[in-house]
Amino acid sequence: MVAGLFDSVVFLFTFLPVVLFLYYLMPGQLKNVLLLLVSLVFYAWGEPAAVFVLAGMILFNYACGLHIAGVLKNRRRARAGLMFCVIVDLGVLGFFLFGRTVFGGLNMILPVHIPFQGFALPMGMSFYTLQLLSYIIDVYRGKVKAQKNPADLALYAAMFIKMPGGPVALYSEMEKQLRARQISPGKVGEGVMYFVRGLSKKVLFADNIGLLFAEVMAMDAGQRSVLSAWLGCAAFAFKIYYNLSGYTDMALGLGKMTGFELPGNFDYPYLAGSTTEFWYKWHMSLGGWFREYVYHPLGGGDAEELKQVRNILLIWLMAGLAHGLSGNYVVWGLYCGILMVAEKLFLWRMLDRMPGFLGRIYSIVMVMIGWVFFFSPGAGGGFAYLGNMFGIGAAGLADDRGMYLLVTNLGLLIIMAVGLLPLVHKGYESIMDRGGRGLALVNCVIYGVMFGLCVVYIVC
Amino acid sequence: MKQKRQKDFKSGRAYRRKTAALSFFGLLVLISLLELIPLEKEFSEKENRPLAARPKLTLENVADGSFMEQYEEFRSDQFLGRNLWVSVKNRVDLIIGKRESNGVFKGKDGYLLEAVAAADQAKLEENLNAMGEFKARYEKIPVYLALAPNAANILADKLPRFAVTEDQSGMFRSIWQELGEGITWVDLSKTLSSHKKEEIYYRTDSHWTTLGAYYASQQLVEAMGLDGTKTPKWEKYAVTNIFTGDLSLRSGYQTGYQESIYIYAAENEKEMPKIVVDYGEGKISTLYDRMKLKERDAYELFLGGSHEMVNIRTTADTTDRLLLVKDSYANCLIPFLVPYFREIIAVDPEYYEGNLNDIMKEKKISSVLFLYNGNTFVQDQKISGVLQDE
Repeated sequence: MVAGLFDSVVFLFTFLPVVLFLYYLMPGQLKNVLLLLVSLVFYAWGEPAAVFVLAGMILFNYACGLHIAGVLKNRRRARAGLMFCVIVDLGVLGFFLFGRTVFGGLNMILPVHIPFQGFALPMGMSFYTLQLLSYIIDVYRGKVKAQKNPADLALYAAMFIKMPGGPVALYSEMEKQLRARQISPGKVGEGVMYFVRGLSKKVLFADNIGLLFAEVMAMDAGQRSVLSAWLGCAAFAFKIYYNLSGYTDMALGLGKMTGFELPGNFDYPYLAGSTTEFWYKWHMSLGGWFREYVYHPLGGGDAEELKQVRNILLIWLMAGLAHGLSGNYVVWGLYCGILMVAEKLFLWRMLDRMPGFLGRIYSIVMVMIGWVFFFSPGAGGGFAYLGNMFGIGAAGLADDRGMYLLVTNLGLLIIMAVGLLPLVHKGYESIMDRGGRGLALVNCVIYGVMFGLCVVYIVC
Repeated sequence: MKQKRQKDFKSGRAYRRKTAALSFFGLLVLISLLELIPLEKEFSEKENRPLAARPKLTLENVADGSFMEQYEEFRSDQFLGRNLWVSVKNRVDLIIGKRESNGVFKGKDGYLLEAVAAADQAKLEENLNAMGEFKARYEKIPVYLALAPNAANILADKLPRFAVTEDQSGMFRSIWQELGEGITWVDLSKTLSSHKKEEIYYRTDSHWTTLGAYYASQQLVEAMGLDGTKTPKWEKYAVTNIFTGDLSLRSGYQTGYQESIYIYAAENEKEMPKIVVDYGEGKISTLYDRMKLKERDAYELFLGGSHEMVNIRTTADTTDRLLLVKDSYANCLIPFLVPYFREIIAVDPEYYEGNLNDIMKEKKISSVLFLYNGNTFVQDQKISGVLQDE
């Protein structure tokens, strides 16, 4: 219920109806301008001060794009322009990402006190920076033309639809859609259903299982039984998936309502047979960005094996640190990287020979162990929690507290586990496709009830 | 044939999408328009909490984003039909297996039980210290502390399966140990435990029943050395049979359980002293306010609810005067103390803004009793304030 997000009363019952009404009314050329304006309003509603940072970054990248495009023939100058732009973009992002930690650390070490404490990372900043980088790099590569219209570039970076949770759409994918896109009643209806599904994932599932996670986290390490520790970890695994994929679905849905086709982000990752496959199916647009702009330029899969290993570890370390300067994120990044390297070098042979379901269990357990470091405060906390999961320093195998958490959340956990299977959505769709108008009415009622329940959980 | 089916598929899908879009936008517009109706309430009786009001628009609170957050809170608190939605949410939570709402457990046998509160350790120590210093100031006057255990402690077997809550007995033990010298600890837990099979707690309310208070008062009479010959023969009678308590409101659980509230009176009227009760707004001669039976919180029958100070003068044949520092648990116990005191001054620090030392100076107090339930005592923020030496 934070201002500036989709699951809020103000968004659903003031912003969205007004924006869509005006949008459908507006003639083609003005649709982009309207979307840009309301996107800035949306952003300022959640981040009133940081909207100026956003505007500054857009204008800066717009100018850089024009400059690089102008000197494209002169590779040396184009390269210098690109380097300058990338360094500034990453510098600004780094300042907001790490400023607080760095200044906090400096104040602890230095004898003088620095009054400046840095800022909190504004909403969506990592993602819009990555998207602007995709634009500027592709201009340099000659893959896309520089955008002459600042409003269109601004819309690409600041679009409210993908601001809270992505996806990270590459500029090359969006260029055409910024110029022209189709809106049809069928597409809008598809978008509506996407949106309601996403909202339900977030509000009904992620938020509710988040309560279980919070309850386990509130216990001291010594109070957690093995059962509680696994429950907490499973709750987090569910929560982060339902949260992120819910936001993606909402974004895809809002995109379709306004005519955009945004890239998907999750392809049933928890059914993957290895962690490598898991990360291919997890936050795919972000993974795609890293492959396109970091992994391939470093040599990609064609580089010699040792280099590949180094690159994988490097990217994972970066991915860890991008979440914050803290030991647990370093451990998480290295852990994921090492697992991926191990799978690449020798584990794949074993995984290949095992029956499919064993590979899935392996993948889920390994990913869950990784999540422990992702959600624990500090590396020490992560190891203590992990110890609890395997009985070290835990309050027994299963205690009353754990049993209570299990019994009172079992229904939700089962529903959420079933929801991980493609069968649910695909089965529903194929049944619905079979029927005519009667089933369409049933469909309306089902989505209506889902939306109604979301509103209930948002306001209460 | 195949082609036709394909076409059916497609048109079915398109029809489904179109209807979905229509009904969603219809719903969106309908709710948005209904939301424009200005029906603002200050307080939610159902949730027993104040609702957010429309925030004031200033440049500053827009710039730091607090306006947007408050505005969202206001819109969601004032959402149309909120009470209904709260019930729906409760129902759904119950169906998927939750057994706790707003700090209230939905226990066995129709019991709603308030979770045992964790202690605010720093404040608790401050309160205990202040009580110790207070006692030291009035050496000759006996000071007692009696803490009523909460239902979730005594009736732990009524909690939902596997539910655990804070260890109140442990908290009481450590309070007892830290208690300043000279303050007498009255152990109500043992007494109430031995009567746990009887109806000593309400099923839908956070308080003990009059029966529970009665057993506690027997213990107090003994511990405070009150004159047992003054004890009348008590007789109980029900004043309502349709009581639904505050826990039901707070949790939203409607168990449908309606219970009785009893009042105890002396079998022989002559055994009871006459009383004059002063709430600070005129004198009356009863400790009960029957008008409250018709209101939302019928427990306010006792003493007419919470007041900062209530002065009870009696015709009892004694010169003893009691200063009772208390919470609402004491409200239904006070009648049992009436026969032993000439005057009872009941102060609720939650609402009282004066200083107890003034009362000690003005009145010839002969004993002081702190009477709280465990949950309020370990979270109390006010006791040390009213005890402070000026």
